[in-house]
Amino acid sequence: MSHPMSSSDHDHNNSDPVPTRLYNPYQDLQVPIRNLYQLPTSPEFLFVEEARRQRRSWGENVTFYTGCTYLGGAISGGGVGLVSGVRSFEAGDTMKLRINRVLNSSGHTGRAWANRLGVIGLLYAGMESGVQAMRDADDVWNSVAAGLGTGAVYRAARGVRSAAVAGAVGGVLVGMAVGAKQAVKRYVPI
Amino acid sequence: MGTPETSREPCPDRIIDDVGGAFGMGAVGGAAFHFLKGIYNSPKGARLIGGSQAVRMNAPRVGGSFAVWGGLFSTFDCTMVYMRQKEDPWNSIIAGAATGGFLQMRQGLGASARSAAMGGILLALIEGAGIMLNKFMSEQQQQPIVIEEPGATMASVPGLPQMGHPGAEAPSVSSEGSSGSWLGGWFGKGKEPEAAGSGSETKVLESFDAPAVPTFEFK
Repeated sequence: MSHPMSSSDHDHNNSDPVPTRLYNPYQDLQVPIRNLYQLPTSPEFLFVEEARRQRRSWGENVTFYTGCTYLGGAISGGGVGLVSGVRSFEAGDTMKLRINRVLNSSGHTGRAWANRLGVIGLLYAGMESGVQAMRDADDVWNSVAAGLGTGAVYRAARGVRSAAVAGAVGGVLVGMAVGAKQAVKRYVPI
Repeated sequence: MGTPETSREPCPDRIIDDVGGAFGMGAVGGAAFHFLKGIYNSPKGARLIGGSQAVRMNAPRVGGSFAVWGGLFSTFDCTMVYMRQKEDPWNSIIAGAATGGFLQMRQGLGASARSAAMGGILLALIEGAGIMLNKFMSEQQQQPIVIEEPGATMASVPGLPQMGHPGAEAPSVSSEGSSGSWLGGWFGKGKEPEAAGSGSETKVLESFDAPAVPTFEFK
């Protein structure tokens, strides 16, 4: 009902056997008009400086990773501290006392976890940018090497064996994370 | 307009970057400071170990303090930008005051107000320094443009500072007023010989002869 004209046109074509052919409006034009409809699939940049950048700078890498790990540590540590604070309520506590307990324990645990994870993020991001600058390549191996190094440096004070184990754990974790990210990009339809 | 400012992310993602940047600065700076302090305070023969122990104990804490301050400041700054719908130095000043007040809230209203005042004043100083630096830099850029082309005609030379002015950023709008009057004074001298010899047909548009000897009559 909303398109009476087109429906009547369709009926006209189907009922009356008037032969039709498709007309190519560009048939007489000698210009490469097809290029108009073949759009590029790469991102289109407005400024040359933006188009020339291929990878994150080390500053962007460091601030992003450190910020993410710090905030993740703060939120998870705060949550764990909240639970333990609520669990430590005693009978006969006033509301003010309860709030105080919760704030204290969530703040304490949140700060501790956030600081540790923030240091790990800082070390990892710094090492990844360093390895990338040294190798001048964009690989999985940059990340794995950075994971190895981060684990080793983080546990360096506990001894050589502890550092080696932590480095291996870090390398394996990072390898799994990067592999999972590539698998998700290839197979998960988002 | 040149390349837009692409070094800072837009507002919500900026908070993550600011937290990370502040933590990094605090951790690295705190590490250097506490390393030296640990070396100084350690017995001979155990200096490096003492230094690294001091770093391990103190650097994450310092980094965490910086990160909390930076993250809160950035959150309040983005909130002010969203509420006021403009980018101002006032956003940063109010955000600094809010951060200072928020961090001392558990100590009561007096401590909170004092800390808020200190935070606001600190950020006002930083923003003021930034504005003066901007003014100074844009004034320096506008001066050589005018001096470089003394042989140009009168029509094009006023065009240059006018092209320079819309190209300058918003904070230098206030500098435009002061440098505009300075430039106006410079061109004002050039206009006097033209008014004196306006009876002839050929008008000298720009004259670098000595200007007319000033009389002390009131016009």
